[in-house]
Amino acid sequence: MTTRRFIVEPRGLASPQLKLFVPVASVLAAMAVGAVFLLVTGVNPLTVYAQMYDAAFGSARGFSETLISATPLILTGVAAAIAFKMLVWNIGGEGQFLMGAVFAAGIAIWLGDGAPAALALPAVVLAGGLGGAVWAAVAAVPRVYLGTNEIITTLMLNFIALNFVNFLIFGSNSPWRDPAVTTFPSGRPIPDAARMPDFFNRLDIGIFIAIGMAVAAWYLMEKTSWGFAVRIVGDSSSTARYAGVGVAQKILGVFLLSGAAAGFAGGLFVSGPVGALDPRSLDLGLGFTGIIVAALARLNLIAVIPVAILMGALNNSGPSLQAIGVPTATVTMLQGAILIFAVAGEFFIRNRLRRPERSSSSNPEEVVAA
Amino acid sequence: MNESLLILTAVAAISLGTPLIFATVGEIITERAGILNLGVQGMMLVGAVSGFWATFVSGSLILGVVVAMVAAAGLAAVHAFTSITLRVSQIVSGLALTLFGTGLASFLGRAGSEPLVGSPSRKVFVPLLDGAMTEIPVVGPLLFGHDALVYLAVIVAGVASYYLFHTHLGLSLRAVGEDPASAESAGVNVTWVRYAHVMVGGALAGLGGAYFSLALVPTWQDDPIGAAGWIAIALVILASWRPWRAVFAAYLFGAAERFQFTLQTLGEPWSNVPSTLLAMLPFVLAIVAMIVLTSGKRARFLGAPAALGIPYFREQR
Repeated sequence: MTTRRFIVEPRGLASPQLKLFVPVASVLAAMAVGAVFLLVTGVNPLTVYAQMYDAAFGSARGFSETLISATPLILTGVAAAIAFKMLVWNIGGEGQFLMGAVFAAGIAIWLGDGAPAALALPAVVLAGGLGGAVWAAVAAVPRVYLGTNEIITTLMLNFIALNFVNFLIFGSNSPWRDPAVTTFPSGRPIPDAARMPDFFNRLDIGIFIAIGMAVAAWYLMEKTSWGFAVRIVGDSSSTARYAGVGVAQKILGVFLLSGAAAGFAGGLFVSGPVGALDPRSLDLGLGFTGIIVAALARLNLIAVIPVAILMGALNNSGPSLQAIGVPTATVTMLQGAILIFAVAGEFFIRNRLRRPERSSSSNPEEVVAA
Repeated sequence: MNESLLILTAVAAISLGTPLIFATVGEIITERAGILNLGVQGMMLVGAVSGFWATFVSGSLILGVVVAMVAAAGLAAVHAFTSITLRVSQIVSGLALTLFGTGLASFLGRAGSEPLVGSPSRKVFVPLLDGAMTEIPVVGPLLFGHDALVYLAVIVAGVASYYLFHTHLGLSLRAVGEDPASAESAGVNVTWVRYAHVMVGGALAGLGGAYFSLALVPTWQDDPIGAAGWIAIALVILASWRPWRAVFAAYLFGAAERFQFTLQTLGEPWSNVPSTLLAMLPFVLAIVAMIVLTSGKRARFLGAPAALGIPYFREQR
């Protein structure tokens, strides 16, 4: 047996401090990696990070834009977190977000100008969730009833949804397309009654709806018997089956709920800051960023909220970097690095490293069995 | 459909399928070691930008290809570390690789005082046997009108197939992907085998990415590869983890991508089908293939490595 410098042994329960330290360290480590690339391209990383902080938090207006960016990320984060918790690999948040936007914009346009806001606003939100759930069902039903690998189906559905939105706006004279604009195809503006009312600069009530939904999802998963059964399935499907839990229905339920959360995000985004089914404003990778949010929040549905605000801050700060000659893609690079470190950090939450002792008890087999 | 259009479509399918062959064979090698790497899209993009940059600076295509492979293998090494040494979620780690690679490629293409973006490549892969050979009807354009990498892709698939099924090392690799504990009992170093093959897989993804920036779309733009990396992951299953079948699966998807142009060339009424709908075709094809092929216990029967995606705890053997 080769000598080992460290012995890896599983931890029982990680301390709350460690659970907070790992995500914070992930962000700092990602900034260090980003700094290397910024230095190589001849930019002072401190200037860049100061600029980003200033754009995201430096003014009331900047902070309200950060919260606007965070709103959909809270919900795509919830979408990824509830699915991943159950080992349902829904990578289709992107497509479910887009279909949520299609349904929400569709109902708003169908209701038209005459409908009262008290009807139009709930209709738009619910239609968004329905659109996301329907799109998730395309992958969820084969997964549950045929055992089809959902990673690839949800991924492919992202591209189909994006092309579908392009079809509605660029490829046809659909009701979603603005008939008034003939120069370059764009989305038909959503009637005012169906627009989320704003209250501070452009910030609208969508942020409260998103936070409320995250809390509701937390309550559902942690405090109800349904959520309890779901968590048993996530821990061990054989235990769940033994306990008489209907595993198939639980997986289907979580999958659809995950899709609905991403769909809500699309609905709130299209009826909030965007205001029309506009492919260029919607295709921002918000579904994928939700996966980063969920991982950095360690799948905790309450932690998703502050983490989404952090990622929203990054997204919001991106365009301001162009003013100092730094590519907006710096943000994507940083977010990817954050996810790499966050997932690597799980190792330290799950395990502890220990120097081997000289006594006979340092046998790793024994340590692990203990 | 007239004959020349059919041949044009087939030639384009071969060319569009070539990067898919590299990436798919790379992912087959990775998955045969029991590691799922969803970072193909990111590795291809990093290969595309670094290969483009190296050729841009040096004027050498070979150097571009080498740099692309090394850079993507470096990114793959990160995934190897998280999934083999740290044994955390391979799915999330792979997605992280893709997000980081996508950001990095776009960043590198736009950073600096003279960014690469918008620049044409200094050198481009050109057909090897231009001239008389390609004049031969049907066979000429299909077999002879291609650049070196098109032939290399087929050779890579052939070598990978031989390696997997006819060499001792290939047998060790498959053993590691099926049952790492038994492989280790038989004296195979599981960690080493997994690291090596994840990195080879990454290098091939990088080569596939470089094919976009040095042959297919030889001008740097933010996202030159479309969804090729994601398609490659689906093709692994369609090819049932066999490199030879990857060649045909890749050409089939190359044809699906080309289909919208083919229909447009046919004229009315075919050209009226919106291109946004036709662009869905490869993805619909992948989903249908996935439902037909991987449902129930069929994935195992197809040849999915039994230990795919499962971290190996040597201490718990």
